[in-house]
Amino acid sequence: MLVVGLSHRTAPVEVRERLAAGADALPELLARLASRRELAEVMFLSTCNRVEVFALPKAADGVDAALAAIRDELAHHGGAVSGDALAAYQYQKRDEEAVRHLFRVAASLDSMVLGEPQILGQVKEAYDAALAAGTLKSLLGRCVSRAFAVAKRVRTETSIGAGTVSIASVAVELAWRVFGGLGDHAVLLVGAGEMAEAAARSLGNGARALHICNRSFDRAATLAGTLNASAVPWDSLAAELVQADVVVTSTASPTFVVTHEMVKRAMKARKGRTLLFVDIAVPRNVEPSVHGIDNVYVFNVDDLEQEVARGMKARQAEREAAERIVDDEVAQFLAWTRGLQVQPTVVAMRAKTRAVLLSELERSLGGRLKHLEGDRAALTQMVDSAVNKLLHAPTTRLKARAADGDDAGELALAIRFLFDLQEVGVAPEGESSSDAVPDAVGDEPLPH
Amino acid sequence: MTIDLANWLFVATAASYFAASVIFIAELLGRAGRAGPWAARLVALGVPLHAAQIVVWSLVLHVCPVEGIHFSLSVASMLACLAYVLARLRYRVDVVGAFVAPQALAFLLASRFVGPVNDEPRLRSALLPFHVAANLLGVALFTMAFAAAVAYLLQESRLKHKRFAGASRLPPIDALDRAEHGFLVAGFPLLTIGILTGTLWAREIEAGGAAAIARACLSYASWALIGGVLLLRAAAGWRGRRAAFGTILGFGLTLLVLVTYLVRSFGQVAAPGGVPA
Repeated sequence: MLVVGLSHRTAPVEVRERLAAGADALPELLARLASRRELAEVMFLSTCNRVEVFALPKAADGVDAALAAIRDELAHHGGAVSGDALAAYQYQKRDEEAVRHLFRVAASLDSMVLGEPQILGQVKEAYDAALAAGTLKSLLGRCVSRAFAVAKRVRTETSIGAGTVSIASVAVELAWRVFGGLGDHAVLLVGAGEMAEAAARSLGNGARALHICNRSFDRAATLAGTLNASAVPWDSLAAELVQADVVVTSTASPTFVVTHEMVKRAMKARKGRTLLFVDIAVPRNVEPSVHGIDNVYVFNVDDLEQEVARGMKARQAEREAAERIVDDEVAQFLAWTRGLQVQPTVVAMRAKTRAVLLSELERSLGGRLKHLEGDRAALTQMVDSAVNKLLHAPTTRLKARAADGDDAGELALAIRFLFDLQEVGVAPEGESSSDAVPDAVGDEPLPH
Repeated sequence: MTIDLANWLFVATAASYFAASVIFIAELLGRAGRAGPWAARLVALGVPLHAAQIVVWSLVLHVCPVEGIHFSLSVASMLACLAYVLARLRYRVDVVGAFVAPQALAFLLASRFVGPVNDEPRLRSALLPFHVAANLLGVALFTMAFAAAVAYLLQESRLKHKRFAGASRLPPIDALDRAEHGFLVAGFPLLTIGILTGTLWAREIEAGGAAAIARACLSYASWALIGGVLLLRAAAGWRGRRAAFGTILGFGLTLLVLVTYLVRSFGQVAAPGGVPA
């Protein structure tokens, strides 16, 4: 298995955005990649932080050609970015490292924000798109679906997704701790900058009402239009404090915009109803003593960042445990794929043994067997049982040798020689191409 | 057979409340893990067991469950748990169970060891069942209000000191405030009925001992305090901390009234046949 791509770790956003592909562009892109004779299976993952192509080469000795084909297609897709320029930002991994990379990506261990849950959904979308385009068959498909299981295991067995790790999500968390939900509460945005917008997008979602109050009414009205909110004039800020339950402040004012006296008066008019301030402005917009007023809570950017840092620290502490799970899953997956390499030999050995036994049975009973329909089923079952018992030990030992990573090729070769399997048309191990793999994959359960 | 059943129900109820209390406390300490949701379920399981225990035990002893202090504590704690189970449908106040479940367990155990029912003919009156029933329901609701007030103060302290770590284990502060107010509003009319019927009953039986007067004073004081908390909230916006402290104090006074009954009950055990004060 292979992966070629670039991510937030290796490429700036200007490069990533050139290679990104939306849902509409994916079918064509996948079709083009799949049409390359070097590639047997392909999946294209495109998020705001990464663009990656996961693929299975058509032939075991065609890995370099497959990598080159993917790089070509990426360069072609990137358009203005030349292949050479792209190479500086790209990474490529193969075999164990590629599997590990996919598992780590799905488990959000390679994300910009460790443990963020969106990436798993994005990998699922890429998987669905590849399935719909018919570019995923069995081996890569099984690897991706295994990656989902790994991500789930990491989330269940560690606290990698716990805590809040962005200012906006901390603000939402605070609003929950104070109000439970914002369905019955109004949010007031004081200021209309980028930070305010980001917080408003999180907080305003689900709030009863979202009002935007800015010194420039036009700017407030423009932002209100994009957020499905209503703009209010700057002069009515004091009156708005009576109506709002959550106030997000982010103006560039060098002095306090919300003062102690202002809030004191508002609280009297509110009859003591709880009021939450999320002050993300620097310098601060809300006078610190406001936090001392009964039923009023003020959290500034330091408080929020402290919580973000705590969340990040908690997640980092879980990284080691998560990496151990990934290592364990990679080992299991590789053992399973190694087992697949001897699968054609196992299938051929069993088929030949069964054919010989059935043939001998026919010969011994002569023409009588065709007249004994009831006994025929029982006799066939007996032959199957004999095949199972006879070949159980060689089958399990061959698979165990392959799963352990030992060279099972020689053993498989010996079996083919001893059983004279060439006669039943089994391809040599080295040529157990991806064409042969899908059928075998379907029969062989992944270890748990 | 019936006594065995009553005992079995008593043990099962106590076990439910005990397990719920342990899980609730573990939850507050952040160590309940996956057992967390079971705490409230165990309280919900305890309520029908507890109700059945009260019915069977009252049949065994041939007494009405709302007469005398013997069952009152047990009935009050059962009603508090029932109020908790119902309140969870409206408010996000799961953690209130951390106060209700241990209290229910304590009252259930206490009901087993207090003195016999006061069956003195002089104290019998048609008003007595109304008085006891109203007070029991009132106490149950004030127990919930008290628990919500304590949880409110804990959450408020965490938010004011910006200690986020444990704050998420408690319900949202606004939900606690609204729940506390809701329980007080529901409990206050019952307390009023309890005090009115109690006053009339005391007049009927011509009670006038020092203990009876003290009990009456405490009852009036708790009624005035809780009434004041509700009035100030409506008129002057007294919410949050002040309302929580008022609720805790009001509940404390109500509890003191119960304690005076208990003391009288123990007095009867100590001196059988004695006339209660």
